[in-house]
Formats: sequence, C-alpha cells, structure tokens
Amino acid sequence: MSAPHVIVIGAGSTGAATAHDLALRGLRVTVLERGEIANCTTGRNHCLLHSGGRYCVKDQESAIECIDENMILRRIMPDALELNDGLFVALTEEDLAFKEKFIAGCEKCHIPYREIPVKRALELEPFLNPKILAAVQVPDGVFEPFRFCLAFLATARKNGAVVRTYTEVTELARSGQSITGVKIRDHRTGKMEVIGADMVVNATGPWAEKIAAMGGVDVPVSPTAGVMVTVNKRLNNMVVNRLDKPSDGDIVVPQRMTSIIGTTSWIILDPDQIEIPKDHIERMIQKGREMLPAIQYAVTRGVGAAARPLIRKANADEREVSRTFECFDHKHDGVEGFVTISGGKTTTARGMAEKVTDVVCAKLGHQAECHTRTTPLLSYRLFYN
Amino acid sequence: MSIQVSLKAFRYQAGSKPRFERYQVTVPDDANVIDVIEAVWSQHDRTLMFRHACHHASCGTCAVRLNGYEKLPCIVSVKEALAGREEMVIEPLRNFPLVGDLVVEVVSFFQKQAASGMVITREAEPSLDGQPYQRSEVFAEDGTLDDRPYNRFENCIECGICISACPTMSATDKFFGPAGLAAIHRAIQKTDDHRQKSWLLALADGEQGVWRCHSAFECTEACPQNVNPAEAIMALRRELIANKVKKLMRG
Repeated sequence: MSAPHVIVIGAGSTGAATAHDLALRGLRVTVLERGEIANCTTGRNHCLLHSGGRYCVKDQESAIECIDENMILRRIMPDALELNDGLFVALTEEDLAFKEKFIAGCEKCHIPYREIPVKRALELEPFLNPKILAAVQVPDGVFEPFRFCLAFLATARKNGAVVRTYTEVTELARSGQSITGVKIRDHRTGKMEVIGADMVVNATGPWAEKIAAMGGVDVPVSPTAGVMVTVNKRLNNMVVNRLDKPSDGDIVVPQRMTSIIGTTSWIILDPDQIEIPKDHIERMIQKGREMLPAIQYAVTRGVGAAARPLIRKANADEREVSRTFECFDHKHDGVEGFVTISGGKTTTARGMAEKVTDVVCAKLGHQAECHTRTTPLLSYRLFYN
Repeated sequence: MSIQVSLKAFRYQAGSKPRFERYQVTVPDDANVIDVIEAVWSQHDRTLMFRHACHHASCGTCAVRLNGYEKLPCIVSVKEALAGREEMVIEPLRNFPLVGDLVVEVVSFFQKQAASGMVITREAEPSLDGQPYQRSEVFAEDGTLDDRPYNRFENCIECGICISACPTMSATDKFFGPAGLAAIHRAIQKTDDHRQKSWLLALADGEQGVWRCHSAFECTEACPQNVNPAEAIMALRRELIANKVKKLMRG
C-alpha cells in the first residue's frame, strides 16, 4: 500500500518547510503554488533571521520560537544565510531605559547577548549614528527568502515530493464533510484538473482565510501589510535595530549590496491589493536615518510591501498581536481532511512545519517522528536539476 | 498620485501561438516596472505567468527583456522605462526554454555552473571590512557571541540576464556562459591549491570555455549587479595566454 497523499497549498516558507517535513516522514506530497516560489509574503519579507531580540520584551513566546529555530537553521541550511548578528542601539534616554528590560527579556528567552561599548560598536559599524548611547549584540542574521524556500523544496523533491508552480487551486473537492482533494488550473497549459488527496494543508499565509473559505470554514488570520524600503548602498554589516519595543522604521537589514529599512504595519482586506502609502516610505527613510544617518545620501532602489499573516486575537492592536503561529484542524469546524497552518515568521517555518506535520500524521494514523531539526538541507541550487 | 501606463506584453501558453497583448494599467507614479507587470495580473488577467519574489534585486527571479534590453523590472522605474516612448514592451529572457508568458526555465543556468564544478558561492565574498568568512566561524556552538569576520552574499543573484544578453549563447549551447566563467574565475582567485587551479584553468581553456566568447561585453553591460563577467573572461584569457607563452619559452 502506498503512503497517504498530502497536498500542500502554497510554496512560501511555511509550505516549503511543510513539504520537506511531510516527505521526510515518508508521505507522498504535492505542493501547489499559483505563481513562482516565494512570490508573495515570504519573497518580499525583510530577510531577517530573527534572534528573537525584537520580541523578547513584549512577545516572549514568539521570541523563544525565533531563537530556537534560528539555532536550528544555522545547522541545517547551507548557502542561504548571512550570520553577522544584530545590534540593538539606544538613541535616546528612553531607549536607554528600555535596555534593562531588553536584557532581562534576552535572559528569559535564552537569547545570547552582549553589551558592547559604544566606541567598539562604532568601529564595527562606521555608518552608525555616532550619538548612540548603548549597543547590545544578539545573534540576528540575514537570509535569502527565495533561496530559503528552494532549500526546503529541493530536499523535499529528493524525498519524492512533487512541486507544481503556476498551478492555482480554484476549489476544494469534497465528499460529504471531508475534503478529498483540490481542483486546479495549470496556468502553463490552461487545463483544469482534480487532484485527490488524503489530506489538504492550507499553508497560504495571509491567504489562509480565502482558502479556508473554499472549505466552508473560517480561520482568524488578518493580512497585515508592512512596507520596506531598499537603498542602493550597504551601510551596515550587522542588522541594526532600535533598542525599543517594535515600531515603524526601527530596523535596517543589510543584504548583498543593499540595506533594507523596515517596517510599518497596517491591516488590509485583500493581500492581493496592497497600496503603499507614500507617507510610510518617507517615514521609513526618516526613522532609518536616525540610526544610520548615511541613508540620506543613498538612493532608493526598491519599495515593496507584503502582507504578514497575523493570527487575530480579540481586542489587540496589530503591533501587539503575537507573531507566533497556530495550526487549525478543521475537524473542529466539522470538516475532515483539511488543516491550516498560519501566523509565524519565515524564521520559524521549520517549527511551523513540525507542528502541522505532527497533526497531519496523527490524523492519518501515520507513525513517523520529526527529523527536520537535525537533517541538513540540500543546497537551494539543487532545486534546479 | 496614480498614472496610466501602456504596455505590450509577450504572451504564450503551451500549445498555442505566441502573441503580444496590449494593456493599460493604473499604478502609483513612482512605481517600478515589476509593479506594472503585477498590475496586469491583478487588474486584467490572473492567468499571466511572471516570476518575482523579493522586489529589491536580490532573488534574481524577475528578469525580463524591457524594450529589448535585459533588466530586473523590480529596480527600473516606470519613468525610466517610458522615457521617450508611448508604451513599454516586456518579453521573456532569451536563450532559455520558454515555459509560458514571461517565465523561462532556468535549470540550464544552474546546470552550466555545476558543470564547471564550481559555482558562485554565497559565503565567501569579503565584506565591508574586507575580511573573508569561514564556515567554522559561524556562531560558537556554546552560544557565545564573539568577534569574527562578517560575511555577505555574493553579488551575483543568478538572474540569467547575462545568458540572455550573450550573443554567443544564442549561437551555441556548448558554452559555460558569462556567469559560469565568472564563477570559474572567482574559484581560481579563491583557491591556493595549484592542482585545483590548473584544473579550473583547463576548464576555462576547454571546449565550453573562454575562447567561444565573442568579446561583445553585452553581459557586463546588462548585469544589474556589476559582477562584470566579461572582465573575468578577459582575465582568464590573459592568464591562459601567459601560461602558454611561459610553456613555449621553457621549450
């Protein structure tokens, strides 16, 4: 008897990592993605391999997920990470007052940190604002979102998974109260098909609500957009963060020849229609300059926005909503054969995959342990062979 | 402020004839060309196939031919693309098999690099401080932070633009191509191992190597990341000729 067949909808970081975990546990896997790999939320994210420092005061659950996954990814992911750490810098007395909370948060969430003298910080990062009052180093890093996904998918493919891009799910197929597969349109040929499955995993990030609705169920995911501004000079080696609770324009992530300033946060209705407010771009540049004044001399290279999938909680403002993730087994909504995994960060994609794959295996009665913590991924290049 | 943009896009679906389609889309006045392509998808036709991910010239997926020249549409503004013309023309890259619309199959790019036994790596380019980075210096196992050299991804983003722009590639498939030869050149610079070096030089000297290049310099002209593959090819030629002259002198 062949192994159960699982369809994963979405080839962003969550879908890619989930395909890898499912395939490693011996399931037959088909990944369906309407466009290119990582063409939406993951592709356009900030490229930050979180140390958890950003969340260690206000959202410790997410901070712990981040540092744990950060350490795992360092060991399993070749070629797609820059491991240059991050600096949290204080610019005002208020920031300085936040430092004790920040350090306590790092300790609570077992995030390695060290305070470095301002003079040393300025030697390490010559473009930093010379007026900084304190600097704390943490193990942030930078990844390549597109290649991050390719590494998971290359490995999944080696283990038998089928990855179909430009293949859009138009409907979920059902029989009574069970989802039995998907109806798709292959944009390469224009042909419609039905693909059967023992389980369908909705890994579509901020589109989770739309796909869930095809199954007649609801998931509490709010698409929340954020703007990023990329300048044409690399002004920092480490990730530079403002030593304060998360707010607009408080982080500059270096990548290749560029520095990327981020980010804002506002709830949107449709993740396919994001209008970038002009004042957000100006605010990014203004706030970024406070930490790295040389941004004023750099030329903007690109402006992008993507929708994050935030799990809705009652009475919470979008900055206060936890960045943690959740798996929804829709049997609780009266629908079998269908689960949704959403929320989270690209940094925590492997952990998200473990959680949803545990649920899928339990539902299918398929006994297999998770080995993704210790299994090295193939080079992303091997996706193309 | 929003503006109306006219464009002509290449359309192709397996089993049907390629054609050009004209569109008008509304985008912000400071939009880039990738936003125009995305607007065709969101405002006119959700079956349009195009590649894109990062929107800041790091993933290398979105490369197309814009008005006849290879470009990354994520970093070309609409104003630039429309300078002196009524409409912009968007076509897929050349010298790759066509999948559909603006999407090409890029497998050959990675195969050619793998064939050279060396690829442009992501972990060895000197950083701002000029220090190379060693994998062993990754974050200490015991979780302590320490001073260690920075690293950064290579400039090459594997976008395929140099392959599309190369006149030799359009004449023959038996050529490593600009990115592949730039990778060999980088590999030679990086290694201290003489045998590895001569093996790489022999590759560059071989059937798919530097002598096939027509010295058109189109690759360097088109490269959005200033990798300068043509200079790498010329440097390899100089080294090969110098070696041959040396050999000749030695008799």
